[in-house]
Amino acid sequence: MPVTAPEPVVPAPPVVPAMQVDHVSRWYGNVVAVNDVSFALGPGITGLLGPNGAGKSTLLHLLAGLLAPSAGSVRVGGRTAFGDPGVYSVVGLVPEREAVPGYLTGRQFVRSNAELQSVPDVGTATDTAIATVEMTDAADRPIRTYSKGMRQRMKVAAALVHEPRILLLDEPFNGMDPRQRLHMMELLRRMAADGRAILFSSHILEEVERLAEAVLVVYAGRLAASGDFRSIRRLMTDRPHRFTIRSSDDRGLAAALLANPAVFGVELLDGRLAVQASDLGAFARIVAPIARTAGIRLHELTPTDDTLESVFSYLVRR
Amino acid sequence: MRPFSTLIELTLRALVGRRRTVLIALLAWLPVLLGILVRVGGGRPDASQILDALVIRTVCPLVALVVGTGVIGSEIEDGTLIFQLVKPVPRWLTAAAKALVAAFLTAILIVPPVAVTGLLLGGLGPESIQTSVGFAVATLIGGTAYAVGFTALGVITSRALIVGLGYTLIWEGILAGILEGTRFLSVRQATLGVASTLTGRDVGSDPLGIGVSIVILAAVIVGGFGVTSARLRRFQLRTAD
Repeated sequence: MPVTAPEPVVPAPPVVPAMQVDHVSRWYGNVVAVNDVSFALGPGITGLLGPNGAGKSTLLHLLAGLLAPSAGSVRVGGRTAFGDPGVYSVVGLVPEREAVPGYLTGRQFVRSNAELQSVPDVGTATDTAIATVEMTDAADRPIRTYSKGMRQRMKVAAALVHEPRILLLDEPFNGMDPRQRLHMMELLRRMAADGRAILFSSHILEEVERLAEAVLVVYAGRLAASGDFRSIRRLMTDRPHRFTIRSSDDRGLAAALLANPAVFGVELLDGRLAVQASDLGAFARIVAPIARTAGIRLHELTPTDDTLESVFSYLVRR
Repeated sequence: MRPFSTLIELTLRALVGRRRTVLIALLAWLPVLLGILVRVGGGRPDASQILDALVIRTVCPLVALVVGTGVIGSEIEDGTLIFQLVKPVPRWLTAAAKALVAAFLTAILIVPPVAVTGLLLGGLGPESIQTSVGFAVATLIGGTAYAVGFTALGVITSRALIVGLGYTLIWEGILAGILEGTRFLSVRQATLGVASTLTGRDVGSDPLGIGVSIVILAAVIVGGFGVTSARLRRFQLRTAD
């Protein structure tokens, strides 16, 4: 009977996040741009959502090692992001505002990025990256002749040329037409399926909804919420909603609405009724029947806090 | 060495394409135009005086200022530097490439006009050749010091052109002629010291000795490179939100 050596027990490798952000703050004088943010970035697509000026770009620049945290730490594969150019062998960055050199052709630009990354086969890597973003036909034109969307795609090609494990994109869909947008989303999905960690910022909820598996919501420099998109979406939908109503009998309508558990506050204002509802869906269903039963005519119903700003503000206050 | 040559190529292409560089290249040939006018007019002025006043005091620092602040300062301004910095390339190598391009381009723009102007003004005699070569070598070394120093200035402040002009016009142009001690912090005085030794004539008033001049110029070159490297190592993006 053959004796076989027992299979050696190989401990499972520890799951190391691609990027670890610990209590990071960044301030400029008295202005706090990023305030005590912590999260771990793993494989897959993560959306960094927040209104303009929320601190998304500052946070991305902190992750990319282009800003030093005033407090806390950003680590890439265990190495400090700021002040260590070595991390860029695994990180690709697509900045939003920074200009691409217009005097180079797209191919020259991507090629120079490949050379600076010291990739083994510069020519093949350049061609592959350009083909990936579907810019082969325009690759030999000077970048100054490109549209904003084309420039954006060449920036992505330059960031992909060394096949980084982590890709950071600042508002990558800005300036892209719908077809380019779809193509870019498909590209990012493919890259995520390869096990890459992708973080992109956006101030548009629908973009994040369509692409991201996980979401980080930033508002006023703080991490307002984080997690999978569905739970964040539920938080946004289930928050208290405010409306103003003009009706034929505000006082009577106030009394009738308060009797329903979907409404938890009413206030009689000058010629209007301010209503706070705990459940948007339930309120939408009950308001008309309640008014009809009470014999009250509704003239106007206006949501007063349905802006993205108020949604983010609510998430921060939670 | 591929990243180094790529950095040099990118920096050169960015610099050569700027209108500012083209204008300064034209300015660099102004002394030649003056030399031609003097020759046509039949004059025979002292070449070393003209080269001192026009080249070392004016054209050399101005050319180096535009080139030196352009190699990094302009790239920080328009954001193109980011694509070079987010690469696994040691920042000292980036600083070296920028400083080398600044020094090289300054030398190319300044040295030939200096030599040509010297020969135009002084003729082809041995003394004139010695003066021309002496000034050409002095401006090569001095221009390198200026260029590397102004490269560092471009990383330190976004107003490098104004600060550099202030240094050239106020510190070197006025204070170095009045206050004795300030001469030792003047690239121009050190360049004149080198020119005096190489031409065998007293250029400027009471020029510095060759030893002191070389030490000053070397300190500016090494210090400028060190500051550029250190600033790039701790480089932080100005961010808008």
